[in-house]
Amino acid sequence: MARPEHAADTAGLPASEEHVVIFKLADEYYALDIQAVQEIVRMQTITAIPGADYWVEGITNLRGRVVPVVDLRKRCGVPSGEYTPETRIVVVNSVNGMVGLIVDAVSEVMRIPGEQIEPPSAIVAGVDNVYLRGIAKLEDRLVSLIDLEGVLPAAVEEYADVSRAA
Amino acid sequence: MASTRGRPLQFDLDDDDLKLFLEEAEEQIELLDQSLVQLEGEPDPALVQRIFRAAHTLKGSSATIGHKKMASLTHAMETVLDAVRQGRRAPTSDVVDALLAGLDALRVLANEVVTRVDSGVETERLEADLMAVLDGEAPAAPPPEASAAPVYQVPAGALDPYREDIEQGHGTYFVDVTIADDCQLPSIRCYQVLQEMESIGKAAVCWPDREVIESGGGEYRMAALLVTHHTEQQITAALKAVSDVADVRCRQVPAAEATGSIEGFRDAPRPAFEQRSDAAGTQRDDAVLDGLRPPAGRKASQSVRIDVERLDGLMNLVGELVIDRTRLQQVREQLNSVLRDSNLSELLDNFEETTAHLARVTDELQDQIMRSRMLPVRSVLSRLPRLVRDVAVKCGKKVELITAGEETELDRSVIEEISDPLVHILRNAVDHGIESPEERRAAGKPETGTISVTAWNQETYIYLSVRDDGRGIDTAALRRKVVEKGLMTREAAEAAPEDQVVQWIFMPGLSTAKQITDVSGRGVGMDIVRTNIERLNGQITVSSAPGKGTEVIIQLPLTLATTKALMVSANGTVYAIPLVSVTEALADRGADVHTVGGRKMLRLRQRLLPMIDLAAALGDHRPRVLPTDGYFVVAARHGDRQAAFIVDRLLGEQDVVVKSLGDMLGARKGLTGATILGDGTLGLIVDIASLVNEQAAMAVPA
Repeated sequence: MARPEHAADTAGLPASEEHVVIFKLADEYYALDIQAVQEIVRMQTITAIPGADYWVEGITNLRGRVVPVVDLRKRCGVPSGEYTPETRIVVVNSVNGMVGLIVDAVSEVMRIPGEQIEPPSAIVAGVDNVYLRGIAKLEDRLVSLIDLEGVLPAAVEEYADVSRAA
Repeated sequence: MASTRGRPLQFDLDDDDLKLFLEEAEEQIELLDQSLVQLEGEPDPALVQRIFRAAHTLKGSSATIGHKKMASLTHAMETVLDAVRQGRRAPTSDVVDALLAGLDALRVLANEVVTRVDSGVETERLEADLMAVLDGEAPAAPPPEASAAPVYQVPAGALDPYREDIEQGHGTYFVDVTIADDCQLPSIRCYQVLQEMESIGKAAVCWPDREVIESGGGEYRMAALLVTHHTEQQITAALKAVSDVADVRCRQVPAAEATGSIEGFRDAPRPAFEQRSDAAGTQRDDAVLDGLRPPAGRKASQSVRIDVERLDGLMNLVGELVIDRTRLQQVREQLNSVLRDSNLSELLDNFEETTAHLARVTDELQDQIMRSRMLPVRSVLSRLPRLVRDVAVKCGKKVELITAGEETELDRSVIEEISDPLVHILRNAVDHGIESPEERRAAGKPETGTISVTAWNQETYIYLSVRDDGRGIDTAALRRKVVEKGLMTREAAEAAPEDQVVQWIFMPGLSTAKQITDVSGRGVGMDIVRTNIERLNGQITVSSAPGKGTEVIIQLPLTLATTKALMVSANGTVYAIPLVSVTEALADRGADVHTVGGRKMLRLRQRLLPMIDLAAALGDHRPRVLPTDGYFVVAARHGDRQAAFIVDRLLGEQDVVVKSLGDMLGARKGLTGATILGDGTLGLIVDIASLVNEQAAMAVPA
């Protein structure tokens, strides 16, 4: 699957609308480009990988495929909580292949007009926002747009020391 | 002619093409090998045709890759065969001799594509011999039945279903179709011709039978009785439009005459077709039938090329099936315990039978697909004589190479990986193992050294042994070297037992050769060989006797897609330890544990193995709770190093399908991948080599 287009990366924010999946982490709303989302599954058994980063929950069996799973709360610095019946794994296609993201609940799919989206720095200046590529101001709430490649860095950088040790 | 032997050659092909070329060349050469000797005496037209086609195919493929000598030799062979085929020259013994000589040369020439070195085969002389034979005096026997028109049997009532069409003015035609000689897949063309006939009319009778054609059994000629409203010209034009159709002959046969038998076309160059005896009212003609069948024992026949990726895909699917099977068996056991006393026992029996059957079929399917990926190791071994000869000449040694077990089969992914290590070991054997002729004479050995390469299967492994009768490994020099290079203390080096010292040839950065030669390189060899073998879940060991020789044995799994593993659990996670590394598994109560320098050591068969907690060594920092009723110890080796891993439970042996952890997790210390367990959850596959090496690095300060 092709890498999702992020027009916002370089040339500011798009004038057109964005088609996104909105989900919750604790009480906050986040969104992922719908193009990147492969599917959404219920919480299932995850096998921990010893020695992996704290935000890597482990690997899971998605119909015969081994898929790494990231706890998005931990990754985004949101205080962690218990899994509930609402907890879901959002399976996305990243440059590193399929990855599962654990979220607290998936709320809806929505089209957000480009003019409602602002760069993250305009609102949350000073906060570590490499994971975000924009904030959408909806009538009743704010939605943070996740930058997938920022959340899931390339393996080569993060694990260079590990592979050398092996 | 001046010899061109040893001249480097260039061919127009990449590695994939190379493999294709070799496979095809091997197939055709084998076919020639088996049929040329049958050619002598009675020239069976079908046989001649087959041989001619093989030569023609070889000519085409060698010309495509720019192998001029091979193309020109096959052209000469083809010319002779063409004369035989057309009855201009009888296949007497001198003809067969010349062809066989050509065939021997073809083998060498085909191998040049691998060695990329001119083997000095004098094709000009061979071609001259062939041409001389062609002009020879032996009179050509008249081609058999060339003038007799073949007779085609029409089953009684064959036209009955088409009476209505015929009454409405449809004509009945006898159609005879010849497929081009150089067509690669005549069976497909026959099928297409039949399809085309069906689109313009109805094929009431086919020769060979419709079932034969539809199941891919068509050859270079077919005929049919066609009921159609089209004219002869239209039929001919329609059928000629099918690719590779060389000739179409068509004749209207009044329906009333199309019973019993039909006479074919008089100038037919080949005999008529087989007919099955189940066609009502006809008799099968065994003589004709035999000519069309492949001769008994012909091996290189019924093969189809399949993309390896497709086989990989099938293998993966079967892997899934294997997992489901295991799952189903678990469900069965659970049902069994719940429902045993209820009145559902009949249903349960039924379920058990089905599960057992599914298990058998799945095993069989897995086995068959694995086998379809297997190739004989011959393709690797056949390269070795040339290599040994070249290296021996360079080093001024005399070496005879003996190979055995060429038919041993292994997965093609393994074949691709085994070649380089094997070449390296052989080079070492010639360069370092075998002595110079003078040295050998002085030692009372024959001047010519012997290297034998043997392949064999045992259980689910393939073994390759390279044995020489040379000087053996100089262990004194190895002991000196490891101290010089600071890899070990003098005391440790001197205390090491002899059989352990020889394994040091696999240590990185060691070479005992007095000079760096362009043959064996600079001591970067054997450790890389070992790394490559272990990456494939294999093992490599060496044994040596001073003055008598050295033997290197490589052990590899038959396939890389699955591996046999000992399943264990440690701190709540299931791990798979490849069985090839496991030497022993025992309960802690039976273990002889000592504490040496503050470290727990296991005493096992006169060796002290460091004890490592598997979960902790892999970086599992969750609170560790050892089971109160005792734990287990798994002794595993990597080369000559061993360690004992502490685990909670042994869960038995299992075939595991190896899956990558994915790019995001990348290469992880101590893990090579994951596998799906019977209950659908995942287990982790342990990389024993890296864990044992890490332990050794801690034990022996560099």
